[in-house]
Amino acid sequence: MTNEKIITVEHLEKTFGDHRVLKDINLEVNHGEVLSIIGASGSGKSTLLRCINLLEHPTNGDIKFHQQSILTSDFDLTDYQAKVGMVFQSFNLFNNLNVLENCMIGQTTVLKRDPAQAKKVALEQLDKVAMSPYVNAKPAQLSGGQKQRVGIARAVSMNPEVLLFDEPTSALDPEMVDDVLDSMRALAHTGLTMILVTHEMAFARDISDHVVFMDQGVIAEEGSAEAIFTNPQKERTQTFLKRYLQGGMR
Amino acid sequence: MKQQHKFLVWLGLLFFALLAIPTHTSQAADNTFKVGMEAGYPPFNWTQTDSSNGAVQIQGSSSYAGGYDVQMAKKVAKSLGKKLVVVKTSWDGLAPALTSGKIDAIIAGMSPTPERRKTIDFSDTYYKSQLVIIVRKNGKYADATKLSDFKNAKLTGQLNTYHYTALNQIKGVIKEPAMKDFPSMRVALESGTIDGYVSEKPEGISVTRANPNVKMLEFSGTAGFHTNPADTDLAIGLRKNDPDKERINAALAKISAHERDQIMTTAVEQQPQSKSSGNWVIALLKQYGGMLASGTGITLLISMVGTIVGFIIGLLVGILRTIPRTGSKARRGLLRVMDWLLSVYIEVFRGTPMIVQAAVVYYGAAQAFGWNMNRLAAALVIVSVNTGAYLAEIMRGGIIAVDAGQFEAAHALGMTHLQTMNKIILPQAIRNSLPAVTNEFVINIKDTSVLSVISVSELFFQGSTIAGQNFQFFHTYLIISAIYLILTFTITRILRAIERHMAGPQNYNLMANQDQVSVPKVNSEVE
Ligand SMILES: Nc1ncnc2c1ncn2[C@@H]1O[C@H](COP(=O)(O)OP(=O)(O)OP(=O)(O)O)[C@@H](O)[C@H]1O
Ligand SMILES: [Mg+2]
Repeated sequence: MTNEKIITVEHLEKTFGDHRVLKDINLEVNHGEVLSIIGASGSGKSTLLRCINLLEHPTNGDIKFHQQSILTSDFDLTDYQAKVGMVFQSFNLFNNLNVLENCMIGQTTVLKRDPAQAKKVALEQLDKVAMSPYVNAKPAQLSGGQKQRVGIARAVSMNPEVLLFDEPTSALDPEMVDDVLDSMRALAHTGLTMILVTHEMAFARDISDHVVFMDQGVIAEEGSAEAIFTNPQKERTQTFLKRYLQGGMR
Repeated sequence: MKQQHKFLVWLGLLFFALLAIPTHTSQAADNTFKVGMEAGYPPFNWTQTDSSNGAVQIQGSSSYAGGYDVQMAKKVAKSLGKKLVVVKTSWDGLAPALTSGKIDAIIAGMSPTPERRKTIDFSDTYYKSQLVIIVRKNGKYADATKLSDFKNAKLTGQLNTYHYTALNQIKGVIKEPAMKDFPSMRVALESGTIDGYVSEKPEGISVTRANPNVKMLEFSGTAGFHTNPADTDLAIGLRKNDPDKERINAALAKISAHERDQIMTTAVEQQPQSKSSGNWVIALLKQYGGMLASGTGITLLISMVGTIVGFIIGLLVGILRTIPRTGSKARRGLLRVMDWLLSVYIEVFRGTPMIVQAAVVYYGAAQAFGWNMNRLAAALVIVSVNTGAYLAEIMRGGIIAVDAGQFEAAHALGMTHLQTMNKIILPQAIRNSLPAVTNEFVINIKDTSVLSVISVSELFFQGSTIAGQNFQFFHTYLIISAIYLILTFTITRILRAIERHMAGPQNYNLMANQDQVSVPKVNSEVE
């Protein structure tokens, strides 16, 4: 981890109609950092993530990539979206393509890699998530855990600078969660910058450099994983964590 | 509300106009004498399969037209020094075809009635006719000798003819709705739904010769119909102010009454007879196999091209209508206008019958703008555009039905809207809409039959022509329906197979380890 800021969020606001979902969010993500965002359902975690890769357009404030605002009209959005990958809660694998094609399509259309090169990269990444035997399978023929590992391979195949994860394991049966978490842990160890929205507290504590606790559209508390999980300062953070920790951390 | 509706209609017409590819008529320039006739009203005019007895090939068809009208047309064309071209046209299409310049003259056993004179002009008489009533030989009215004998008889006549209005002279007659053509009336008579129909003597002679079960009743003097010479005289229909009118009249004057009678007698003798020996299916197929095959071919061609082009139109419209309304104000405004125009197109074509569209495009475009389209081209345009309107909504629905997550995942990879549509959304939307496309194809096969209104020689048109010749209505239409059934059945199966193929294999093969080891090889080839 270096101190080079990759993503900076400044006074970010997002309103749906008259519902203010995000209110004055400020955030910095450094190169090689793993940032976890935790918080109650509806607190705006997904919206924040979706604003960062512009699936939602911010209402106010700014987002910077390498100190450059991504909201100006002359900013190269395609290039940015290719460099900021996303892994979805509901996988969103392309239903008309098989596993291999899912991992190649972004490389060939966006990065203009030639198919042989794209195939090589895709197979490498599929191998890392132990999905290479399934290259010919269509998404509908896979289990949830398998789909999510393909989703990770698809995102990583683009060689992103930052990878966003929106609750990648919450749609999975418990016995499949570990496979996916293992894949993510391996990724974190490669030094990839990651922003992760999760309810897997043990996992977040384990791999995060920095943790953000969101509550009702604002960052209520943030700090190192150690600080947030063992010694939360705010009452809201304590209540939230208590609910999760009662059953014992997984 | 009404105002807006009118506007929509005009917009629709404009659409038609834009879509019709114009090829301008050069009426004066060419050296042909284009004559319109039904080629289904023996002995005046009929369709036959060869050129025997001086028959003339029908424009755009492998069939020939023969009969009294054809012989007269030949004489007139000769004295005009022009080449005769016979254009097979339905009765109702004759006047529009003439005024729109698709034909130069109507020689179709037509009388110069005052109503017709309002829109078209007529030559001098080329045949003098007499009204008769055709009845069943074993029927209740077989022995009628005067009009009053037809009290309570169910009679009819051809639509838009004075035959039909002449029925008003019979007291107490039950006037059945007028019918489209003579073949229909012959079927109605045979099946007993009517007791008789009004016709003219030559047609009467023909039908009694061809069908021994019917009888022609002539009436003399006051016992018969009071007719006006404007009705019983047959003349050649011409465009108003036709410069050739005098020369045509001069040509007709040269043909003596005796010669006319001779030509009529010969025509009655030469008109096609049904060959009824052995198995009727084989006999029918043997005699008319060529016509049936060409009709089937045209039907398949129109429905296939119509479905494919319609699919492309539908796809494009569907894509245009699902472009996200984002970006600058000008862009959004443009998209809204385009969306509105496209929905007008869809509403107009889905909201009007294809038979009306065909008539508007083919005759309307010619009459209003002087555009003269090839009939087959017009048919292809109509079916394509019509299918496009139906499929546009299906494709739009198919695109919308694709999960939003698919769009998001593609955008998250950095794919543009175009790339996303191309590689991700459309393949799924198309696959989902294939059953609807198959359905539309089947509908098109059947619905091309309405194109007989613009005389496209598709299967149904050929069928009516055959039935008009051989009087075997039931048998002919039975064979036609069998052909339609075979077509739709086969095509449904083929498209189902394509659908299954597009769905991909039910199982996938797990890749063995060797396959993965071979990967670096791909790389080394590249480097
Ligand atoms: N497209 C939208 N239109 C309107 N409201 C929205 C939209 N997306 C999200 N919201 C609202 O914004 C709020 C925050 O939603 P968000 O999905 O960011 O929460 P979250 O923290 O990710 O919750 P969870 O843990 O359940 O995923 C919710 O109240 C949600 O209803
Ligand atoms: Mg969420």
